[in-house]
Amino acid sequence: MLFDLGLKNEFRDYYDVVTIGGGPAALGAAVYATRAGLSVLVVEKVLEGGQLNLTTHIDNYLGFPTIEGQELAKRMKEHAHSLGTKFLNAQVMRLLIEGKERKIEIDDGTIIRAGVVMIATGADPKKLGVPGERELTAKGISYCATCDGYFFKDKDVAVVGGGDTAINDAIYLSKIAKSVTVIHRREKLRAVKILQDKAFSNQKIKFQFNKVVERFLGTKKLEEVILKDTITGELSNMKVEGVFIAIGLTPNSDFVKDIVKTDEFGYIITDEFMQTNIPRVYAIGDVRKKNIRQIITAVSDGAIAAMHAAENYFV
Amino acid sequence: MALISEKDARYLQKIFAEQLKDPVKVLIFVDDKSECEYCDLTQQVLEELSSIDSKIEMYAYHVKKEKQLAEQHKITMTPAIILLDKDGKDTGVRFYGIPSGHEFSTLIQDVIAVSTGKPPFFNTEQIEKIRSIKVPVQIKVFVTPTCPYCPKAVLMAHSAAMVNPNITAEMIEANEFPELSMNYGVSSVPHTFINDRHDFVGAYPENAFIQELFKAVGDK
Repeated sequence: MLFDLGLKNEFRDYYDVVTIGGGPAALGAAVYATRAGLSVLVVEKVLEGGQLNLTTHIDNYLGFPTIEGQELAKRMKEHAHSLGTKFLNAQVMRLLIEGKERKIEIDDGTIIRAGVVMIATGADPKKLGVPGERELTAKGISYCATCDGYFFKDKDVAVVGGGDTAINDAIYLSKIAKSVTVIHRREKLRAVKILQDKAFSNQKIKFQFNKVVERFLGTKKLEEVILKDTITGELSNMKVEGVFIAIGLTPNSDFVKDIVKTDEFGYIITDEFMQTNIPRVYAIGDVRKKNIRQIITAVSDGAIAAMHAAENYFV
Repeated sequence: MALISEKDARYLQKIFAEQLKDPVKVLIFVDDKSECEYCDLTQQVLEELSSIDSKIEMYAYHVKKEKQLAEQHKITMTPAIILLDKDGKDTGVRFYGIPSGHEFSTLIQDVIAVSTGKPPFFNTEQIEKIRSIKVPVQIKVFVTPTCPYCPKAVLMAHSAAMVNPNITAEMIEANEFPELSMNYGVSSVPHTFINDRHDFVGAYPENAFIQELFKAVGDK
């Protein structure tokens, strides 16, 4: 009978290196670890490449003057795969530390043993945390402009945020929507100059500076946003059908917060070799406390951790 | 003008030569241009695709002129693509709207899956679990061509259809069916509906997806 061979995801119960997450940090670690002769399992819950997949164009990864995020993600995965890295599509529920043993438990209860574990869970778009946000998510509120932009063709939308992602989203949405209002809590944007120039010269993009979202209103779908002026405290309302939130990221470290040390924001604290406070547990990429979160720094985190692990635990 | 570039065609030729095993029948249902803006383009994409490898057999039908066949496969909108295995058995895999952008790779992976008999997702145990569903299940996955997470959600639903004949799984390109998308309240994708009464937004991992399936059929 057809379709009897679901062998693709079968895996062993032990790997030298298990990465939790499958973005550039994990794939960088996988390349270095497999080349050091270690067996590697990458456990990814959504899509290998992580946030790369959300970026339309990447212009700052060495060797690629410009490349689509998804294309770079695919190449990184293929590179790791060609060296023998195994991939598993699952969510990791728990990290277990028992003496020298490091184990992970995935969403179906399966336990996988590991020589070392690398936490590479990255970061997800941060929520505003205001009334109406949760209820109206996917009903007008979105965190992915490229995914959902087209539902707002010729409609009025807003973008919340003032960084690169927010301004990139605003420029992208201006090609689809009737108007785009950028809502930013400060009086100046934080985005790089080249993006600011593009946004300011775009007729369709308007700005609401010194404003924060107080709440979202709507019954079945988003209808309006209540804004608060950060200087005068004055409230105003704005009718929009779509709001795209791009106010930065929040680290995916909740599931290990009782095990490894984090800072006040949840970023995992490591030493220069990417080791957490628990031996044989590393943190790499955006989930780690550090200054610069870029693809190139994520990949190098992975390389540093893999080489440290290979030299210290597998000789 | 060719929709599939020469470079892509060469790449596909290599992939197909390496991976295709049994023939796959790709059926497309179209309507008049006035009724269906993207039918011509969709048909052209499939014609070009089937010309790359002889194992991809394409059959085009007019939804009104071949009413009986359309009804037999429960085709309600156009353009519609369905995949049949080498014996002509309906795999339950459906595409409503043009599989362009990220969804083109979904179509390619589906064709390879049907040809080799290996679904893109699920291990043996998971397949057994999905096969234990004995009631009819209809999965709708709303997507846009620019959504990077959507192919995974579609392939997951299609994989479920491939392993269980009680399941049909439809990709629906939301831009082409704005009214339907609005009626379902879709404004973020991927948005999956199971039997029209249970829904979730996002691309779920395999086990979480199976849980949603069972929630929808009211078991476990």
